[in-house]
Amino acid sequence: MNRALIYFALAGVAAVLQTVLMPLLLQGDYKPDLVLLLVVYLGLHEGPWRGGLIVYLMGWFFDGVGGAFPGLNGFVMLAIFLAVRGIVTRVNTESSILLLLLVMAGTIVQGFLFAFALDFFRQDISVSSQIAWQLPVQLLLNFVAAVVFLKLAVWLQRTFLPRRDLPGLRKLDSRYES
Amino acid sequence: MWEWWQRNRPLLLGAVLLLMALLWYSINLRQQDETNFPERMVLILTGPVQAGLNQVIRGAADVWDHYLYLIDTEQENRTLLENNRKLSAILAESNEVRLENERLRRLLDFKEAQELATLPARVIAEDATSWFRTITIDKGSERGVVEGMPVVVAEGVVGRVIRSSPRFARVLLITDASSAVASLLQDNRARGISRGKGERLVFDFVLRQEEVRVGDRVVTSGMGGVFPKGLIVGDVQSVDRQEFGLFQAIEVIPAVDFSHLEEVLVLLRRPQ
Repeated sequence: MNRALIYFALAGVAAVLQTVLMPLLLQGDYKPDLVLLLVVYLGLHEGPWRGGLIVYLMGWFFDGVGGAFPGLNGFVMLAIFLAVRGIVTRVNTESSILLLLLVMAGTIVQGFLFAFALDFFRQDISVSSQIAWQLPVQLLLNFVAAVVFLKLAVWLQRTFLPRRDLPGLRKLDSRYES
Repeated sequence: MWEWWQRNRPLLLGAVLLLMALLWYSINLRQQDETNFPERMVLILTGPVQAGLNQVIRGAADVWDHYLYLIDTEQENRTLLENNRKLSAILAESNEVRLENERLRRLLDFKEAQELATLPARVIAEDATSWFRTITIDKGSERGVVEGMPVVVAEGVVGRVIRSSPRFARVLLITDASSAVASLLQDNRARGISRGKGERLVFDFVLRQEEVRVGDRVVTSGMGGVFPKGLIVGDVQSVDRQEFGLFQAIEVIPAVDFSHLEEVLVLLRRPQ
């Protein structure tokens, strides 16, 4: 229960950063998707039922600050979570490189699912070309955000929780260790 | 059979969960014009935090702009004075047109169009994703803001309210892909639909035989029941009249600079 609350609090912080701070710092309508990072992390380190429920509820929460279609973020986030769960037994979940790769793959899957859910279910909307156009910039932004997150997480852990291991941050590559 | 079920259970359950989520999204598409309970709760919870943070950041930026970054101020001042003179001339001219218009109205015994009540609001947040174009404003249903109300600035149309809570509301910008505004060309009155396409708009369903030029002004037609007639949408940027097909491909640059939206006006008129 405590962990779930922490995840929701992190999602809340990410939502506020993405809606208020990022638009002032970055030009245009682009902003890194910090919640996607959280979803990938949950996919790597939480069980399917508990994690799935948290991610789906998080998606509903996110509908209140992003997009105009109730249930869309929940569907997309759940799909990404389940996709990560699908490969989790075959990979080393402690690898930070894996987290970076999954964030990149998650960005592509996210773009595809948004395009599918809107173009297929709403005949009057066509977003696929716009999403394809935006995808490279979004990939770059999410990659940079993931690298910064890893550096920051390691620093925070060492500063405030030196004796405690956080899942996924135990055996980091030397490049992310400070 | 049991073995097969045991082996494929996670996959099947995952697929069922995903299908249920997709089904729920699909059902919600029918009621997407109303604010549901979770969305209202999110607006109530995040609104004050967003408003507070926005005020702090804007305050810091204001200090920077007014006291620490005065290098270009003199040049800017000269440009503004020049612009002021030009605008005064235009205003005098438009006053003449307005007076003439009023005389003609009286002459034809037209009823004076009733002024719409407006409510100023401050933009406190943008959409959380890069894929959609929405903003959050600091006025909600307590001040009469409900779903479907048009939102404008002096330059033109901004969008319409799609979600509202007692103190905050979310506005779908006209540049969002799911936005469609019934519009017409100001000069030749050709009708069409302005759809959002990222930073631009496309003006759909304008017949091939219509004469459209780059720079033509696009305004709302008042046909959709959301926006009053005559609000500025944008200017034609490019026209592609293909060899075949019924319609032209027209791109429009919005009149509003959405990257610098700080205050907006909500037209307190319910959608018809």
